Amino acid sequence: MTETGIINISLAILFLPLLGFIVTLLLGKKIKSIYLFEVFILTVTLFAAIFVAFIKLSYYVDDRIIAEIQWFKLSETISIKLGFLIDNMTVIMLFVVALISALVHYFSIAYMKDDPRYNRYFAYLGIFTFSMNGIVLTNNILMMYIFWELVGLSSYLLIGFWFEKKSASDAGKKAFIVNRVGDIGMFAGILILFLTYNTFSFESIFHSIAAGKLPFNSDFWLTMTGILLFMGAIGKSAQFPLHVWLPDAMEGPTPVSALIHAATMVAAGVYLTIRIFGLLTADAMMFIAIIGMLSAFIPATIALTQNDIKKVLAYSTVSQLGYMVMALGIGAYKFTFFHLVAHAFFKACLFLGSGSVIYAMHHEQDIRNMGGLRKKLPLTYATFLIATLAISGIPLTSGFHSKDGILASSFAFGSLTGNWIFAIVGFLVALMTAFYMFRLVIITFHGQPRDQHKYEHAKESPFVMVMPLIVLAGLSIFIFYTPNPLNADEGWFISKWLPAPVLSAPNNTRFDFMQETAGAVTHNPSHGTITYSESYTEAMHGAHNPAMILALVLALSGMLLAYIFYQWKKINVDKLTQAIKPLYTFSLNKWYFDELYDKTFVAGTIGFSKLIGWFDAKIVDGIINGAGNLTRLLSVFTGAFDRIVIDGIVNFAAYLSGFIGLIFRRIQTGKVQTYLILVIFSIIILLFLFND
Amino acid sequence: MITLILSNLSVNIQAIYPEIILSLTLVALVIFDLIFNKQKKFLPLISIIGLFFAFIFVIPEFGTSRSAFPTSENNSLLSIDSFSAFFKGLIIIASVFVVLFSMSSNEIKSCPDRQGEYYSLMFGMIIGMFFLVSANDLILIYLSIELLSLSSYVLAGFVKTSIRNSEASLKYIIYGSTSSGIMLFGISILYGITGSTNLFEINSVLGFSNVPQITFLISILMIFTGIGFKISIVPFHFWTPDIYEGAPLPITAFLSVASKAAGFAVLIRFIEITFAESLSKSGFWQLIPYVNWQNLLVLFSIITMTFGNFAALWQDNLKRLLAYSSIAHAGYLMLGVAVLSDQGLTAVLIYFSIYLFMNLGAFFIVMLIANKINSENIDDYRGLGYSIPFLSTSLAIFLVSLTGLPPTAGFIGKLYIFFALVDAKMIVVAIIALLNTVVALYYYIRVLKVMFLERTDKHVEIEISPLNFVIILALLAPTLIFGVYFTPLVNIAKNSIQLLGF
Repeated sequence: MTETGIINISLAILFLPLLGFIVTLLLGKKIKSIYLFEVFILTVTLFAAIFVAFIKLSYYVDDRIIAEIQWFKLSETISIKLGFLIDNMTVIMLFVVALISALVHYFSIAYMKDDPRYNRYFAYLGIFTFSMNGIVLTNNILMMYIFWELVGLSSYLLIGFWFEKKSASDAGKKAFIVNRVGDIGMFAGILILFLTYNTFSFESIFHSIAAGKLPFNSDFWLTMTGILLFMGAIGKSAQFPLHVWLPDAMEGPTPVSALIHAATMVAAGVYLTIRIFGLLTADAMMFIAIIGMLSAFIPATIALTQNDIKKVLAYSTVSQLGYMVMALGIGAYKFTFFHLVAHAFFKACLFLGSGSVIYAMHHEQDIRNMGGLRKKLPLTYATFLIATLAISGIPLTSGFHSKDGILASSFAFGSLTGNWIFAIVGFLVALMTAFYMFRLVIITFHGQPRDQHKYEHAKESPFVMVMPLIVLAGLSIFIFYTPNPLNADEGWFISKWLPAPVLSAPNNTRFDFMQETAGAVTHNPSHGTITYSESYTEAMHGAHNPAMILALVLALSGMLLAYIFYQWKKINVDKLTQAIKPLYTFSLNKWYFDELYDKTFVAGTIGFSKLIGWFDAKIVDGIINGAGNLTRLLSVFTGAFDRIVIDGIVNFAAYLSGFIGLIFRRIQTGKVQTYLILVIFSIIILLFLFND
Repeated sequence: MITLILSNLSVNIQAIYPEIILSLTLVALVIFDLIFNKQKKFLPLISIIGLFFAFIFVIPEFGTSRSAFPTSENNSLLSIDSFSAFFKGLIIIASVFVVLFSMSSNEIKSCPDRQGEYYSLMFGMIIGMFFLVSANDLILIYLSIELLSLSSYVLAGFVKTSIRNSEASLKYIIYGSTSSGIMLFGISILYGITGSTNLFEINSVLGFSNVPQITFLISILMIFTGIGFKISIVPFHFWTPDIYEGAPLPITAFLSVASKAAGFAVLIRFIEITFAESLSKSGFWQLIPYVNWQNLLVLFSIITMTFGNFAALWQDNLKRLLAYSSIAHAGYLMLGVAVLSDQGLTAVLIYFSIYLFMNLGAFFIVMLIANKINSENIDDYRGLGYSIPFLSTSLAIFLVSLTGLPPTAGFIGKLYIFFALVDAKMIVVAIIALLNTVVALYYYIRVLKVMFLERTDKHVEIEISPLNFVIILALLAPTLIFGVYFTPLVNIAKNSIQLLGF
């Protein structure tokens, strides 16, 4: 297998789902079972993705494969190119996307069975997978943007899939519009990059920055470019303050929530930020870290009190994405990606598990009506529990390692820069996560059934639904990432597969511990830049054990609290909520973000448009009316001029065209004799014209 | 006169393998038809196989530059070069499509016992075109045009029982033979002046000695008449609407694409080789100033496109409308030639490749619809957008592409023509062409309006066979893809403007 082979298979991975989409959409109405084609295509894609990942990670582990073709040329120097960048991150993401997408396809076969638009649903899944693969494979920001919008479109289509429900179509619109806000920033960032560097390719942009070329020749604008691009991620990864669309997106079918709104698409924002990591300055990273911190903290507090099984998971998703973004902001580049992958698996497992519960309970989503389901749904329960352990960061799971890495980094960051806030919030969120996740497990699966009728009818889901759960729960176990159950640093995922990030932002704009002068080791001489100083490595070493122990203690105490509250009922929850009523309602109502936005942005927009309308109606119209009266007299004359002369000319032009056409048509008499005479005649005329 | 030098015959034969394969296919068709009288359905298959093998032998001709069948030490009858190879490729692609069209044409199917005749005559046309695009000698040019024309006269009247067909055929033959008579007259005058029929030799005579201006001009205009008849430029176009409307639809499509391509190829070769000042050139061709080619061609192209577009405004028959539109397109193509530069020539080749797909596509869908509703009247297309959405949408895409709107390929074709014009500082001409496009918009969009905005109670259902579905997709794909990703097409065209002798 050569590099060309890898590129060709990646092309197939990209376009196969598109083929599935086209075929399924076109033949959907004619052939009832065409969805099987889409499922088959995704299975093929999955095998191709496994194959590529295997080849790349075993034989080309240190290579960055880049393939480009010219799309079109703007001038001699500027040509727009399309291309792939295939590094280890790309193939791992391809595998994650293909696997979860395929599993969701299988799951949906049963879950969506009675839907009248069954085939269309699968077609949409196909175009989503195509677009997501595009984001993963691209080597330039332009293609990234194109596919970015395409995933936005497919997300919109799937959230509003049951568009007969007003809440669903509203949620679709909300997701679309809120995402636009972020995308404007991203678009502006792309324009700045293109104006400065005349190229969209990440590689060339980084090279130019490393060579000292900055947007508008200022550090400030480099920071701004990073922040603007990151705005796209704020929208897509549902970061504060644009996180409001994601919980509403749960109106879509549950398998879609698992695929798009938990595992893959929402991670695209994090993926984008990883891709542009090289151009981020310390200020931009600080901004990112703060946004991430807020997004980790606020939704975690909201998740504590939610009663809809999918809403809890949705807020937990926002919180975990915030975790990743925060980690990236404080420089924990590798662990961010590690957490992204680990989270994709266990969160998809949790969502599909909730889908299985909802399916068994006949579309009941309120956990207060569940309980005791452990006995009825043993497999769902077991896999859900494993995924919960993983998200809480209990040892032997993938989440333990990825979270531990992030927390250790926040510790190290605190000790190096004195900013301890990220560490404090990080640990607090870890505690809350363990608590609300076990609350969810206990209320749903433990105890006594609360709705006896629904409980009796519940039974374990069919194989196509359970099998994906088992696969995903299996992938939440540490052994796939590292052989050492307590330390992931030496494991292949962190030490072998993920190279150190390459920074190209000027030295003076970076964090101190990221500067080249601080005893840095050069990993990639051709690029010339590297990131982490020895002091950082030392700090990480020092932070590792305390962070791990503290994280474990907090996770276990979160678990314990959940058991005390909900399993053993040592403390009366109702009394407690009464005691802290204001806080409780504040959380239950999601910090009133929707209300706030309704009152400010939505109402503001409407009010503003009313104001403009009033201004238009009273002031502008008033002026116009006054002027109108004045000019009315004049207009009588100009009107006449208009009618007779201008209209005359316009009508005449139209009439003339028609008339010319008519004459031309007349010449075509249908008589050959006439034609031939005309030919001879024209030759003679030409002779006179050209004989000089 | 011409004396063929027959030494090295085998080398020369090798140079015309594609033509030989086509001739063998023709013979095979005739024999097969005689022996297996009942097995008509194999005839298209044989044709396609023949075309396929011819194509395989055309491919190596790209990038070569050699002559075949020498008539004297330096000159020969045929030029085998990238330019001719490009046009041969276009002709083969068009022929394959037309063979496929014929398989589902009701008109052709109505004469089941004369299928062999049909396909072998088609090969007669193809062979004529193949020789035409690489001919270097006026006699060979004349002979190939005759071969092409004679076959097409018969094909235009193929359905003898149809009065419309017979009328078209008769008009075509009268008109065609008069033009070829005029052309032959012109050739003989030119021979009288220069003493040769070989383009290269005429070129060197023009370079060295003075020729009588008026006589020379007469002869050139007469030859131009013959070629102008083939590519239907105004005022030699009169046959076009009548014949296009009357002939069976596959033949109309064939005439509008392949035969026009061959005509343009010979026109370009005639101008470039006969009038090149010296056999080396920059981007802009240096021509011997006996005839002001630029003015002549610009005049013709403007008249042609204006006439074509304006006359199309009033047509109610879609086939006739497409006939006028193809006249207008000949005008745009002629503009590319009129720039007299490599860039203009590249634009012509790009335009032709795109025109091939969109024009064939439009004709094919008109044929499929006419098969069912027996009418090509625009009024009968009312509301078709709702009863046969796939066909109507495809037709809409082809018409939009013919208009030249993005993101279809037609836009790219026009864009490159306009680029060439602007580069040659022919701004006024470019503006006239642009205004013409606006006029064209009206009549193309009118069809869309009738199909999609007007409602009717009549419900038409057309079953599209899988083969036809694939054909439509094969025509749609380039029309859309070249509108977005056209770099490869541009590169091929750039590499194909190499004529022998330059």
